[in-house]
Amino acid sequence: MVRFQDVSLRYGAGPEILDRVSLDLAPGSFHFVIGASGAGKSSLLKMMYLANRPTSGRISLFGRDVASLSRHDAALLRRRIGVVFQDFRLLDHLSTLDNVALPLKVSGQRSDEIRKDVVELLTWVGLADHLDAKPATLSGGQQQRVAIARAVVSRPSLLLADEPTGNVDNRIAERLLYLFEELNKRGTTIVVATHNESLISRFNYPVIRLVRGEVRLEHAETLIRSSDMPARPPVEPGDRDTSLPVDGEPGSAG
Amino acid sequence: MLLRKSIVPLNSDATGRFLPWLVAVMVYLAALALVSAMAMGKIVTRWDHGLSGQITVQLPVSESDLSKAEIDTRRENVLKLLLQSPGVLSANHIGAVETAALLEPWLGRSSGFSELPLPDLIAVEIDQVEPPNTAVLTARLIEIVPGATIDDHQRWLGNLLNLARSIEIVAALVVLLVGLSAVIMVVFVTRMGLAVHYQIVELLHLIGAQDGYIAREFQGHSLKLGFFGGLVGVALAIVTIFGVGKLLGQADTALLPALTLQPLEWGILGALPFASALVAMLTARLTVLRTLSRIP
Ligand SMILES: Nc1ncnc2c1ncn2[C@@H]1O[C@H](COP(=O)(O)OP(=O)(O)O)[C@@H](O)[C@H]1O
Ligand SMILES: [Mg+2]
Repeated sequence: MVRFQDVSLRYGAGPEILDRVSLDLAPGSFHFVIGASGAGKSSLLKMMYLANRPTSGRISLFGRDVASLSRHDAALLRRRIGVVFQDFRLLDHLSTLDNVALPLKVSGQRSDEIRKDVVELLTWVGLADHLDAKPATLSGGQQQRVAIARAVVSRPSLLLADEPTGNVDNRIAERLLYLFEELNKRGTTIVVATHNESLISRFNYPVIRLVRGEVRLEHAETLIRSSDMPARPPVEPGDRDTSLPVDGEPGSAG
Repeated sequence: MLLRKSIVPLNSDATGRFLPWLVAVMVYLAALALVSAMAMGKIVTRWDHGLSGQITVQLPVSESDLSKAEIDTRRENVLKLLLQSPGVLSANHIGAVETAALLEPWLGRSSGFSELPLPDLIAVEIDQVEPPNTAVLTARLIEIVPGATIDDHQRWLGNLLNLARSIEIVAALVVLLVGLSAVIMVVFVTRMGLAVHYQIVELLHLIGAQDGYIAREFQGHSLKLGFFGGLVGVALAIVTIFGVGKLLGQADTALLPALTLQPLEWGILGALPFASALVAMLTARLTVLRTLSRIP
């Protein structure tokens, strides 16, 4: 699904941000990318969603060598990758409905065919009452759900989330990760970048740790042991609340 | 309703607001240049037709001390020779009174014409299809009347043609420069739009929009601005042309053909807004594609 071979990256004449990184993420897997601020998490994700090309090394996505893609094919490949940007990147002049419909429109689907799917998805993330709202009138948590809905609306095989837990409190962040887990169970390959180690210690997924430009693959369980944070008691799958808090504020969906 | 509006809100920002007015000025200039060139072409054709069927034979009288009878005989011989020459349709003496009348506008109505050594003039109408060889004709005339000359108006017509051609070249240059400035303006306006809306452009790129899809957002907007500007420019040009036509009509200059527009000229004027719209659209498209090609 995602394969990096000796990938290095530097910006201009700056220092090496990533140094000969090799990765192989299997289809249907779930990975966290962790590292301190400035460690290169966003840079790594940007190469995964084709916003940046490596200085050296090979990247292949869906079995295709990224370097040899035509612009046309690269655009088609991007449609199979959903991205939740750290700053959401919603378009201020478009309604919730239009923002979420954007990836479908861009891929050439007709507006009347899109509508039903989009409304359904927005209902699922608890925004059915805000279809015509502009982003500026929504709370941070609501904006994040719009961003997530836009990332998954075209049913991408690969979902990348850059610090999705950065702007929300731990409670919402955790729900968010359960939502991703739900999508993962339906077959989506997921990569979540975060610097919040206490949060990921509650999930049992492999971790890509970035330290001084190099990667170390770890397992979440080792983090639980090394972490000072008390481990959260295991949760029965049936108890998990994967719906996001309906009004985005803590406690409202308790 | 859902996603009917454009994704890049170019209509609601100021980047393109001045463009239609600049395009209007440019199309106005181009229209006037084109119409002037075409009017000049018509004048030349008309004068050419009017004059090339005629030549004038001049018989000098000044240096001779010929009697009036001798001058008449000499003229009769010349007329006979002319009428026998191939390509000559008619030859008529222009009498002293007529010559004086021709000169009157320049010299004023004076009584002194008879004392002036005016040349004897013969107006010759020639066959335009098979005109006489003026060099041969001159040679034979000189045998009868030394110093006789033929004025076939070619020098004058030649100058006129040169003038017309210069005006055409200037008009073409004006159209070219105006077009070039319009292209440069559209490039700048499009770049400005791309800079103002870079976030949106980048997002569209990242969610898988093809370059052409993004370009369409800009080229449609540019097409509208170019067309509107072109319409205004052509409208102003037509008002100007009729205004000038009115003024010239009042001055009653017989030399100028009426500045009425022929179907072809209407067609060219009518095509200008479409041309400016097309230029604006293509320029915007190429500018966007060029800028996008720098995004990996
Ligand atoms: N576009 C860029 N140009 C130059 N340097 C950059 C750019 N983006 C990121 N960097 C640098 O690369 C390093 C890693 O940044 P980033 O990938 O954003 O890290 P993280 O997401 O882990 O915080 C930082 O030192 C940052 O300053
Ligand atoms: Mg980052």
